[in-house]
Amino acid sequence: MSTTEQLDRATVAEAVKRVVIAESKLSITVSEITEQEPLVGDRLRLNSLGLLGMLLRIEDELSVVLSDDLFVGRKFHVVADLVDVVLKGSEAR
Amino acid sequence: MSGTGVPSSWQSVLPYLSESLPSDRSPENPGSSGVQLNLPLELVRQSVQEREHWPIPEEVAQAYGRYRPTPLWRARNFEDAIGSRVPVYVKYEGGNISGSHKLNTALAQAYYYKKAGVRELVTGTGAGQWGTALAAACALFGLGCRVFMVESSLRRKPYRGVLMRMLGAEVLSSPSGLTRVSADHDSGRGNSLSLAIGEAVEYANTHEGTAFCIGSGETYSILHQSIIGIEAREQLAGLDGHVDAVVGAVGAGSNFGGIALPFHCSAASANTRPPMLVGAESTTAPKLTRGVFAYDKTDATGTGPLEAMYTIGSDYPIPDAHSAGLRFHGAAKVISAMRHRGDIEAMAVSQTEALEAGRQLTVSETVLAAPESGHALAAAAKLATRGSDGLRAERGVLVCVSGHGYLDLAAYEQFLNGELEDEAPAEHALMAAVSGLTPAGAPTLLPPRQTVGGPA
Repeated sequence: MSTTEQLDRATVAEAVKRVVIAESKLSITVSEITEQEPLVGDRLRLNSLGLLGMLLRIEDELSVVLSDDLFVGRKFHVVADLVDVVLKGSEAR
Repeated sequence: MSGTGVPSSWQSVLPYLSESLPSDRSPENPGSSGVQLNLPLELVRQSVQEREHWPIPEEVAQAYGRYRPTPLWRARNFEDAIGSRVPVYVKYEGGNISGSHKLNTALAQAYYYKKAGVRELVTGTGAGQWGTALAAACALFGLGCRVFMVESSLRRKPYRGVLMRMLGAEVLSSPSGLTRVSADHDSGRGNSLSLAIGEAVEYANTHEGTAFCIGSGETYSILHQSIIGIEAREQLAGLDGHVDAVVGAVGAGSNFGGIALPFHCSAASANTRPPMLVGAESTTAPKLTRGVFAYDKTDATGTGPLEAMYTIGSDYPIPDAHSAGLRFHGAAKVISAMRHRGDIEAMAVSQTEALEAGRQLTVSETVLAAPESGHALAAAAKLATRGSDGLRAERGVLVCVSGHGYLDLAAYEQFLNGELEDEAPAEHALMAAVSGLTPAGAPTLLPPRQTVGGPA
């Protein structure tokens, strides 16, 4: 992975973590969760409804437009799943 | 407008709401093994972003061009038949393969789902108009289609099922016995359309490549239907027609929203008084006139979000009636929010009143309206004559005939034979059905009834 890709991933991961923390109504920092944190677990409590609004907030934060074919019908288990797909969508711009 | 007279954009009412829509609430049973997105993001954007104009994708615009713009005319013979004091304009949405306005959003949804990589769409339908529209849209965009249709409607209107099959859809009578929600269904409880929708939701959740979609009630479907009102505004201007009341039938609210909300937008934009926007609902499902503003389910599975709506309770057993498209317990959240703010009026119309209005339109204008549209026509006739519920038009009435009635002739036959009766919910039954719901806002403070709206 190049430096640029690492930076991009770090930016995306931070944005994703920020919105999943907000969606789960937690008072923790982004450094307190890893990319392997389950989206539906002891700490994060996402659901499909929250995911919809969250993706739009990620679009706003990163100034990207995410493509529908990346999301519909796909299941997301951990934070990294979301980071991967947002990165993929961003690269496609 | 495009060069063909078909609008090039849909118009959203969201920028013109006096308050933001109440947030949906998650159901009690969140998933336990990851989260899934089953709705194209563009439809999500259309539901939440306060952007007024949404360009219609080229493929959808081309499909619209096959049957739009739909006709609007001054119905002078109907005016004479009802003894109208004011001009009555009819906007007719029955002239496409589905026979109703539902095709306007079916085409848009099929386009977005296809773009998202979905292979099959599944839905629930009451009267069958939505199922037919979705089947047609799926056929056009190369998608599979599966329709759960309310058993009593399918029995009454078997040719709806035939038409859907002709369009390549698989049609299942609901309750089908194929889903958990139908197996759990107590035949004496709940309403039939929400069960059909629940079956479709469950089927989509358990089959890969399949997505559930819905024809009415969602904010994006009302956006797609705005094409009706946008066209009507232009057509009225072309006729130098002026109305102070706009009427549509309300099942969940997409037809009413489609014809009425663009008039709210244009008035708000110009800072003028809007016409009265009057939703005509069935007395069998009187959510806007007798319901409560509360969080309720949109389907029988309860797996979807709870939405703030005017509702008679999702568990209320709605009496059987011919206007299956109006037999839904709740109004769309955008319609409900505007009703709560006093921006929308409502009238409840009985089945016999609706079919009589449909008969009058048939004999006077030689246009056969669906029973659902008969509710709008009956409400329009009241507004244009003596008034009702404290509402009366003084300049003119625009009414949307949402669909044709060629597959509803059995209803008209029963009506002509004097075999139909009306049934309205008992107060104690309604109270019981809504007793467990969480209120969505402050107690409703509807403004005093007005007798005249502003010019359109």
